[in-house]
Amino acid sequence: MNPKTNPATNDDAHKRARTLITLAGPEALSSDQPSSTAWLTTHLESCASCRAFAENAAETIHGLRAIPIAAGRTLVSTTQTRVRRRALELQRQREHLWLVSISCTAVTLCTLLSAIVLWSGFEWLGTRAQLPSLVWQVGFLIFCVVPALVAGILLLAKDKNNNNDNDRLAHHAGSYQG
Amino acid sequence: MAQESTEIARGLRRRDPDLLDRLIEQYQHRLLRYLVYLTGRRELAEDLFQETWIRVLERGHQFNDKYAFSTWLFTVARNLAIDHMRRKQPASLDGLMDNNEDAAPFDVPATVSPSAFDLTLQREQGEHITAGMQHLPAEYREALVLRFQEGMSLEEISSVVRVPLGTVKSRIYRGLSALEPWLKGAQL
Repeated sequence: MNPKTNPATNDDAHKRARTLITLAGPEALSSDQPSSTAWLTTHLESCASCRAFAENAAETIHGLRAIPIAAGRTLVSTTQTRVRRRALELQRQREHLWLVSISCTAVTLCTLLSAIVLWSGFEWLGTRAQLPSLVWQVGFLIFCVVPALVAGILLLAKDKNNNNDNDRLAHHAGSYQG
Repeated sequence: MAQESTEIARGLRRRDPDLLDRLIEQYQHRLLRYLVYLTGRRELAEDLFQETWIRVLERGHQFNDKYAFSTWLFTVARNLAIDHMRRKQPASLDGLMDNNEDAAPFDVPATVSPSAFDLTLQREQGEHITAGMQHLPAEYREALVLRFQEGMSLEEISSVVRVPLGTVKSRIYRGLSALEPWLKGAQL
């Protein structure tokens, strides 16, 4: 069967031509697919409807490219300022994190060293006082835990006190506004 | 291009503010244009423009220098736009379709052309296409902008939009076909 007279083949050819025109843009075809370009050129020479489609597509694409949307100077400078400010914040956060990690490492090392020294001290004292091992070991535990417990209780108490003060201030402000 | 990407990647890892200043200057129009077409609203696009660069600063270390910076930049902007729309409406890009009739659509500035006649013709054509774009589904609009305004390859669009190549092709084809009547309207 002659492909030129087969409607299905013709439909395929139109579809192929329109896809090529749409996807590449008529001017982009030459560099992309030389064989497709040659085929498309031949097809366009013989097909008026695809030629019209190509012209319309080219105009639409040209129209799309011609629409100018520009960023204003204020937008750019505001963005640059915001980005610089955020960069500074992030840098400060990183420095802060670095300080915190160094402090944590130093505290851990000091705690380990102190624990070793204290353990030896308690052992020496226990031996000198002829105490059972369990007693000086419990003493060591209490010595280590009590300061942390006291600090925790004090901090909690301080926090509660602050909250009470805030409530009282809010109540006071409310009475002024009322 | 590869060397440029590597330098950008290095600068982004260092969070170099001078590099970011340069990139903002370089990509200002392209990014804003993409966001304006994606969201359909200039104000929202400007907000997202700023957020995109903040995100670029914060997540700069994630940029892979195997790809073009613009591809990654548009992906970041797109994700932010989708996040924004999801927060406002629990829908995908379809939510971007809701056009506020009162809002200034696309805010097209005057063009500079050689003659008043050309200027009028170009403006009219631009207005018709802009109007047509507003009526397109956001995903078609996005594909058209990336392809014909940003000049991205189909593969690049596929990686920005995260859909298969075939879907990109069909979006461009359908988008362009849907715009045709609007352009014809301009020629009447």
